[in-house]
Amino acid sequence: MTYYLTTLLVYAGVDVIACVALNLQFGVSGLVNFGFIIFQAVGAYTAAVLSMPPDTANGGFQQYILGLKLPFPIPWLAATAAGGLLAIPIGLVVLRRLRSDYQAIAMLVISVIANTLVTNIRPFLNGAAGLSLVPAPLSEHLDSGSLAYQWLYVALTVLCCWLVLVVANRIVNSPYGRTLRAMRERERAAAALGKNLVALKLTMFVVGGSAAALSGAILVGFIGLWAPASWLYPETIVIFAAIIVGGRGNNLGAILGALLVPVGFEEATRFLPQIGPPGLIPAMQWVAIGLLIIGFLWFRPRGILPEPRRRVEGEA
Amino acid sequence: MHIYLSAFGFGLVSMAVIAIGAVGFTMQFGIANLINLAYGDVMAASAFVAYGINHAGASIWLGLLASVAFGAGISLVLNRALYAPFQRRGTSHLGMVIVALAAALIISNVLLAIVGPDDVSYRMSSGPVIHLGDVVLTSVQVAIIVIAVGVMLGVHLLLTSTRLGKAMRATAADPTLARSCGIPTARVIDAVWLITGALCGLAGTVAAMNSESFAASSGSGYLITILAAAVLGGAGQPYGAMLGAVLIGEATELSAAALSPEYKEVVAFVILVIVMILRPQGLLAKLGVLEAAG
Repeated sequence: MTYYLTTLLVYAGVDVIACVALNLQFGVSGLVNFGFIIFQAVGAYTAAVLSMPPDTANGGFQQYILGLKLPFPIPWLAATAAGGLLAIPIGLVVLRRLRSDYQAIAMLVISVIANTLVTNIRPFLNGAAGLSLVPAPLSEHLDSGSLAYQWLYVALTVLCCWLVLVVANRIVNSPYGRTLRAMRERERAAAALGKNLVALKLTMFVVGGSAAALSGAILVGFIGLWAPASWLYPETIVIFAAIIVGGRGNNLGAILGALLVPVGFEEATRFLPQIGPPGLIPAMQWVAIGLLIIGFLWFRPRGILPEPRRRVEGEA
Repeated sequence: MHIYLSAFGFGLVSMAVIAIGAVGFTMQFGIANLINLAYGDVMAASAFVAYGINHAGASIWLGLLASVAFGAGISLVLNRALYAPFQRRGTSHLGMVIVALAAALIISNVLLAIVGPDDVSYRMSSGPVIHLGDVVLTSVQVAIIVIAVGVMLGVHLLLTSTRLGKAMRATAADPTLARSCGIPTARVIDAVWLITGALCGLAGTVAAMNSESFAASSGSGYLITILAAAVLGGAGQPYGAMLGAVLIGEATELSAAALSPEYKEVVAFVILVIVMILRPQGLLAKLGVLEAAG
């Protein structure tokens, strides 16, 4: 039961980081990043291949690049950096010349294709089977199966959540955040005031990408597995659903959404009796996510916790 | 050399399949002003309607007709029940993309729940093989090409020589002005969804007939190829979509011969990215019948 609790807390932490990161892009800046999940994936893969031994270990049953077996904080830090670095080329391709709905489509396509590539190129990241036996952080010094270790992992996750939230709140409440909101509300007006839209968007791509990658690193260190099936494009839609439900533009809303949608859905269906063929409940779960998005956009487009209306001093 | 000639032949069939799908998709974009991300999943659902009829013992051609009717019906319902209400409320382009993606998620998973995850194929004979030099095609493949040519001609005549087609072009150019000129734009939009939905259903079934097997999850692959063709030609331009289908059809089949069939979608995607970087308005941006949606 305690293991269930720690697992739940780590998952919740990962989802909170992901939702806050996407909220910076989608909620605050108006960037519809339908490829968000690839940034989580790149963080998970980076952390995995940096912490795993070379692929000849364990009888060489899986193939992957690197395998540097680096000690703990390095894989997580490198993963965070990798997410930010990946955001630069993708951002430069997508953000410069395309209309905003084209940008969304381009990101969706990139997400699908990245998954296809990783699935088909086996020597790169072990193809469709994915990576397994990813060592838990510090597992050479501590017993990663013990309850104390589980709580340590929860503490680490909470620390990362807190860091991401501090950064996100600083951005949202700063003049820079105001510029981002101006861009979201009216791109042309922001451009006319001399704001460099591409630079603003690219920065949010990098910041959000880094945080997403960190969430992937935390997740892979905990579950020890990562495969193309973990980051199919609908996973991005779940995070979008969380933000739309919670309240876009509001970091508290993003946290609430993370707890209600990804965490709540997984846990609620865990206790459902098995009905119908094995794939039925997951399929219905996806249908429910779709209905949730449409329902909220129609009936409560600003979410449960709407973005607070900000007043400039001196305004009547 | 031989392998490339036969790949060229497969390319002809591919371009026929893609053209049917891409013309419907691009007309939705051009006239209804919406990127319908559920298009690929409606294709897959239609292919399964044909599958149900085919496996109940009827001919695949009867299944094809049923899938056309199904595609038209479900697309009309999708617009009436979901897209049009959001558009009437003034939802932004970006908001509509999210709504469409949610619709795609719902359709693909309802389909998955009904038909299950397995790969299936139609019960049909491919008919006698037809040799055209080194290009070898089955009768079914030739039939698909003939259907596609007929559909392209039909779309051309519809847009250029009928009152409905002219009303569609007017609605695409400026819906408000079209309405003030007495064009019943709501009915025109309904007609657009019926016609493009029929094309979507047709495309789904011929795509399934042309591949060894298909599954409930085939929709996203269909969508990417069609998006690539539509964007390459210039989104919203039916003739552009035809041109895009020719290029994407041949490029994917020839590269499948040169590399590996798994990379078909990757090739379509690389073309899409290059177009988006170099010429986001597409190849035929100024030449088409429809104005680009703004």
